[in-house]
Amino acid sequence: MSKKMPAAVVALRPRAKEDFSNYLGMVMMLGSWSILFGGIFFAYAGVRMSAPTWPPPGLPKLPLALPAANTVILGLSSWTAQRALGAIRKGRRDEMQALLGATVVLGALFLGLQYVLWTNVRASGLSIDSAGTYGSVFYALTIFHALHVAAGVCGVSYLVVGARFGKWNAAAHAPVRMWTMFWHFVDAVWLVTFVSVFVL
Amino acid sequence: MSDTPKRPNPPPGARSDRSRSPLAFVAAALFTLAVATFGLSLLGGSSPRFPSWRAIGAAAPARPIDVSVSGHLGDHLFDFTTKGISFLFIVMCGIIFWAATKHGPEHKAVYDHGSSGKALILTAVVTLSILFILDGTLLYGSFVDLGEAFYNFPKESDHPLIIEVQAQQWAWNFRYTGPDGKFNTPDDIVTLNEMHIPVGRPVFLRLTSKDVIHSFYLPNFRTKTDAFPGAQSRLWFQATQPGVFEIGCAQHCGANHFKMRGQITIDTPERYADWERAQVAQNQRRYDPNDVEAHWGWDWEY
Amino acid sequence: MSEQHIHPEPTTFIRKYVFSTDHKVIAQQFIWMGLIFLLMGGTMAMMIRWQLANPGVPVPILGKLLLHSTGGIVSPYIYTSLFTGHGAIMIFFAITPIMIGGFGNYCIPLEIGARDMVFPTLNMLSFWTMVISCLVLVASLLVPGGTAAAGWTTYPTLSTNIGTPGLGQTLVVIALFLAGLSTVQGAVNYITTVIRLRAPGMGYFDMPLTVWGLWLTAILNALFVPVLGSGLILLSFDRLFGTHFFVTGALVKGGGDPLLFQHLFWIFGHPEVYILILPVWGVVSDLLSFFARKPAFGYKATALSMVVICILSAVVYGHHMYLTTMSPLLGESFMVLTMIISVPAMVLFVNWLRTIWQGSLRLEVPMLFSLGVVFVFGLGGLTGLYLADIPQDLYLHDTYFVVGHFHLTMAAAVFLGSFASIYYWFPKIWGRMFNNTLGKLHFWFSIVPITIVFCTMLLVGYSGMQRRLYNVESYDFLKRLLPLNQLISYTAFTLFTGQIFFVSNFMYSVFRGRKAPDNPWEVGTLEWQIPSPPPHHNFDIVPTVIHGPHEFNNPMVKGKDWLAQDEVIPPETAEAPHVETQLAGE
Repeated sequence: MSKKMPAAVVALRPRAKEDFSNYLGMVMMLGSWSILFGGIFFAYAGVRMSAPTWPPPGLPKLPLALPAANTVILGLSSWTAQRALGAIRKGRRDEMQALLGATVVLGALFLGLQYVLWTNVRASGLSIDSAGTYGSVFYALTIFHALHVAAGVCGVSYLVVGARFGKWNAAAHAPVRMWTMFWHFVDAVWLVTFVSVFVL
Repeated sequence: MSDTPKRPNPPPGARSDRSRSPLAFVAAALFTLAVATFGLSLLGGSSPRFPSWRAIGAAAPARPIDVSVSGHLGDHLFDFTTKGISFLFIVMCGIIFWAATKHGPEHKAVYDHGSSGKALILTAVVTLSILFILDGTLLYGSFVDLGEAFYNFPKESDHPLIIEVQAQQWAWNFRYTGPDGKFNTPDDIVTLNEMHIPVGRPVFLRLTSKDVIHSFYLPNFRTKTDAFPGAQSRLWFQATQPGVFEIGCAQHCGANHFKMRGQITIDTPERYADWERAQVAQNQRRYDPNDVEAHWGWDWEY
Repeated sequence: MSEQHIHPEPTTFIRKYVFSTDHKVIAQQFIWMGLIFLLMGGTMAMMIRWQLANPGVPVPILGKLLLHSTGGIVSPYIYTSLFTGHGAIMIFFAITPIMIGGFGNYCIPLEIGARDMVFPTLNMLSFWTMVISCLVLVASLLVPGGTAAAGWTTYPTLSTNIGTPGLGQTLVVIALFLAGLSTVQGAVNYITTVIRLRAPGMGYFDMPLTVWGLWLTAILNALFVPVLGSGLILLSFDRLFGTHFFVTGALVKGGGDPLLFQHLFWIFGHPEVYILILPVWGVVSDLLSFFARKPAFGYKATALSMVVICILSAVVYGHHMYLTTMSPLLGESFMVLTMIISVPAMVLFVNWLRTIWQGSLRLEVPMLFSLGVVFVFGLGGLTGLYLADIPQDLYLHDTYFVVGHFHLTMAAAVFLGSFASIYYWFPKIWGRMFNNTLGKLHFWFSIVPITIVFCTMLLVGYSGMQRRLYNVESYDFLKRLLPLNQLISYTAFTLFTGQIFFVSNFMYSVFRGRKAPDNPWEVGTLEWQIPSPPPHHNFDIVPTVIHGPHEFNNPMVKGKDWLAQDEVIPPETAEAPHVETQLAGE
């Protein structure tokens, strides 16, 4: 349970109790979400283990360079998001706005490159509906993940715009923390996807 | 609503309301009338709509006749389970009834949280006794039966009758090897919805489906197994007496799931041999080596 | 301690009754929604039963209204849509909104001494997500090709484009996903609220068992509904984009595995049945104590048994898949675990029976329904033993025996438990009393038919009748079961029409019932210590909890047989507790 905090800290962080509740709720929400993705990874494992070879004969191997670049981009965007959170914790709203803006740009870049990836893979002969489970796994995981990146881009954009109107400060910035947590989640899911789908 | 004056609580056991609802009592009267009509109609003769009590009694639940070598094992476990749970059920009902009638508002309640060691031990003793006696016996019996019968599939040395089954919407296709012992050859016997087997010989089925999941159900053998598209399942059974019985589908497979009925004929070995001979001749006449779809069989693996 | 921040009381009609963040309003919205879908699901069941009792005969009234194209007869295809809709609606759109969305929302903050949920806006969002889900479900009824028809279990490949092409099935898959989303939103809210907003002095083992049941349900929901979500997403991809996760068969090259869906589904599906029953277990555990005027026997053991069941629920799911040719070792492991999971349920039972034993039972309407739950759940739970056993399941799987079993445990118990909850909290939610006589009539006209209907289903299944069967006359060995099926059907119609006692009572009393006192049941939990209905902010002063919720006939208390959770025992009566000696033969 929450420990008794010294008076000075309570004065600086009057919303400490709510902040922890928000954090706890977000952790649980992301936990549930992880299980949602987990189910899809479970399905991937299932179809891959029962396939004699992977990729199945006649199907091209997935590219590695573009997803690797995207991994770096997304990792960078997580770093900027976390820096932004640190900034607003110290009350530096403009710095937060700039860093979150960078996060949005990187996220959008990720989505753009994913689109290029899909086009390339389609051109190399792997389409969503005619390559059995191999194509299904690739497209399903990357599309579903990209939807979440898009949602994150929207949310972080909202934070950027809100900062313009002076919405958050050192004492009250729960949405910033929530969206940063979400962004890290989306990045973590991508890491697992990258390793399991493209590397292995 | 917060300015509602606090009413004194009614004394214990008092009626908690006095409101009346005219509509409700009209509804109650109509309803009683409907129930009475229903009850009386059951006393009368049976019509296609309303069964009579006699008809209900005549349709007493009963398992279909068991013509398999291992069906009685499941039946025996069922009967044992029934005895066990009937006892527990009667005890439970007895306690509820006794408490409801004898431990009513006039009875003085005992203040006991049930957290004492004695209470926990009694709970543990009761539950673990039921687990070990009832569940335990059932488990032991099941392990024995599964090992000796249900999971004990015939080996090649047992010379089972091997049949491949392809389920489809909404029919059963059966394929026998014929004299050469191989599937997908000209002497295969392929039947639709009709299975013939001899008495006293194990029958080993491997099943698949053409489209959706079906379930091959033999009520008179107390067994069934699902049939999947893109995969194989297996089932074995052995008949003890001749007769004609039904095959059903037990997994929802579309609108005509209810029509997916087959027939299994159990013959004496001699009559079965006659049937096999006649079928082989007939199928050989019909064989078309160019019909890809007709070659739905696959290489058998024990 | 900082006060819980609460939204100011809303003033406009829209903020008060439509887009409300007040948990009490959202609870009522869920309850009304659930009752409407309960009616819809029940009507579908009645149509199924009519077809089974009178094959090929037009359905009276409803046939003329809904089934024009076949002249009022339920066609085989419509029949498949009916049992699909019945299952999906009852589980996701009736029980979940009433017990979890409704009573979860209402009871949790009030019983733990909070002013509202910890995330009120998320709470409102979860209701409106559910509304969107309902709209998608209703839309599926209107599209060409009809609604979903692959069973509520949605097994591929029947649920893929191979088996059920068309928009209707896809819409239902999406509706189920949205319903799951709403559930997870609610679950996160409930879990965090119980952890963070308990009143001072209320430890986990001072909470009413209702809260335990609802909290554990929320935990299971948060953990396992996403697994269903993943299965539904992959199925949607198969249907919409042509992927091959579950699609396989003669015409598909390199296809997927339909069994994969079954794994994902039942990893969700088995905990789901505990999700549906846990709120009722919690409520019944409390109500038996309240109306027996005795502490809940073995409170801690009950709470911990519920926890153990939750943990074990994840590892027994294979008993739904015994017939999928899994390895014998795997099957036998599931069999053993399934038998073991009956132990905590037995502990619950022992505690229930020992709660009412030697009590001072007040057979009020909520108590009657609670005893009814004990009866039907006992019966249903015991019949599960047959099905846990593989040799018996080989015969009983996918027969009416299973249908009887799960209806007794899941439908009958939750049905009666929902009404126990509605009658019990009726005075608190709506500030009025219901008609007692109608309530008792409702009880008897529910429990007797419900027991007959589902016990006869056990018998019919024992005689070999398969599930989801359109017509008993299509099999020779089942023809003779027509009279029994007719008995089930006509008793079911009695059950259905018997609900008129509830509907009339409810509709009248909600608006015109006698004003309720604050604590008509004389119970010590926190919600009964405030006015009926409670003000917007629930508690004028957040109570400090001193006792557990089941302090009935405490010898230290004089003058009354109950004690509020925040009530101090007056010093002049604090003396060495007398232990009442039991008279011989008592």
